[in-house]
Amino acid sequence: MSFTLHDYVLSGNCYKVRLLAQILGVAYTVKPVDFHPGKAHKTPEFLALNPHGTLPVLESDNTLLTDSSAMLVWIAQQFDTTHTWWPTNDAHRLALTVQWLGFSAKLTESIGQLRLHTMLNRPADAATLNTLSTENLRELENHLCEQSIRGLAFLTGDQPTVADIACFAYSALSPDAGIEHTLYPAIRGWLHRIRCLEGFLTMPGIYEAHETRNEHTAAS
Amino acid sequence: MTTQPVSLSRDLAEKQVMRAELSDVDMAVWRSASGVVSAWENRCPHRGMRLSHGFVRGESLACAYHGWHYNCEGACHYIPAHPELEPPKTIKANLYNVTEASGIIWVNAVGTVSPVTLPSNTQAVRSVSVHCSLEIAAQAFKDYCSLSPITANTRTEVVSESPYVLALKAPLPANSPTPSMQDKSNPVSVFIALQRVNQTTTVAHITASEHASETDCIALSRWANKVRTHAEVSVGSTE
Repeated sequence: MSFTLHDYVLSGNCYKVRLLAQILGVAYTVKPVDFHPGKAHKTPEFLALNPHGTLPVLESDNTLLTDSSAMLVWIAQQFDTTHTWWPTNDAHRLALTVQWLGFSAKLTESIGQLRLHTMLNRPADAATLNTLSTENLRELENHLCEQSIRGLAFLTGDQPTVADIACFAYSALSPDAGIEHTLYPAIRGWLHRIRCLEGFLTMPGIYEAHETRNEHTAAS
Repeated sequence: MTTQPVSLSRDLAEKQVMRAELSDVDMAVWRSASGVVSAWENRCPHRGMRLSHGFVRGESLACAYHGWHYNCEGACHYIPAHPELEPPKTIKANLYNVTEASGIIWVNAVGTVSPVTLPSNTQAVRSVSVHCSLEIAAQAFKDYCSLSPITANTRTEVVSESPYVLALKAPLPANSPTPSMQDKSNPVSVFIALQRVNQTTTVAHITASEHASETDCIALSRWANKVRTHAEVSVGSTE
């Protein structure tokens, strides 16, 4: 069962869905929405589909979802035959996955909002958002430091889950909001591990791991 | 004149490049595929692009803008738009002196690199950034040794200090299953190497004795986070 994604290319939340679908090799239909400058997500046609007027929206035969975390869970449960991305057979990891999915919403509310303000001039209290973004990145950095001391590469263990995808997007996009990764070495390492995953997908602001490609090596 | 830390060795893997600032000097620090570390002015000689946006190919750092390749000596040896051209020797990145010692990468932007001598048998714990001056950060770490030691009901002692390095001894971890810090005869040594990013930002690079357990290191990581909060409250700012 495939799906249709109502999508905006610069949206971090839309990107999460595209990224997981790409990693799992799931084909789907994209319907681009002119979020900026067209505000197409506030038109009567779009509000009839999603009364909240938000992106992304995922549509399939019997499902209509308007929350990106819910979409990640739906896609993993539907298409991940390894059951590692939504680890239903491990109570501990499943609960941690839900916990970090919750945290990802905080990243959207801080870094995501600050990024809209910085890139698209959305009115916002930039100083407050900046403080909040820093607090959230520090919480993530603290956790990833502890994971690295435990020898664990990802948020909930040694393998990535939908929570890593959910937290990846706005952590990786923080330079768009004016917050570089320079002071966050554990986050930097974790972002790099995700960029190296098989099937990784880029978006504007999130590039591939060039150094893992082998095409050209200049003769020195 | 001053040698300062820029990163834990662990946090710069092979084929990685990172940005680091040292007393307001902006640099690209990178590690080649064979493990050689370099610290350069963060500026491509071609168009001024930050080299920290670039990528490592084997023993070269390539600029993200036009792909000019620079070898470990800083010499440009390949220009993709002119593949047959041998680039002039004058096209060269600006190099700083860099060395690795005791699991830490040290740089001197203006002179010979001479790090504080620390034991080599240590493990990386974490780097923590603090929004305050280096002096306030150093004072906060010292204050917290007695104010709120790494583990409760113990004393964390300051063994030695220099402008850029604090050496501590911590005898007790809370609830540690492997009571390494509890062993009074063999306490854990903690080393805090301080990097002055600028007047308002400091990074503390923390290492500990090899025999510190996982629990000890996590306690130390949390302690550092607490010291950060304390230091930033004392300057009345979290930004």
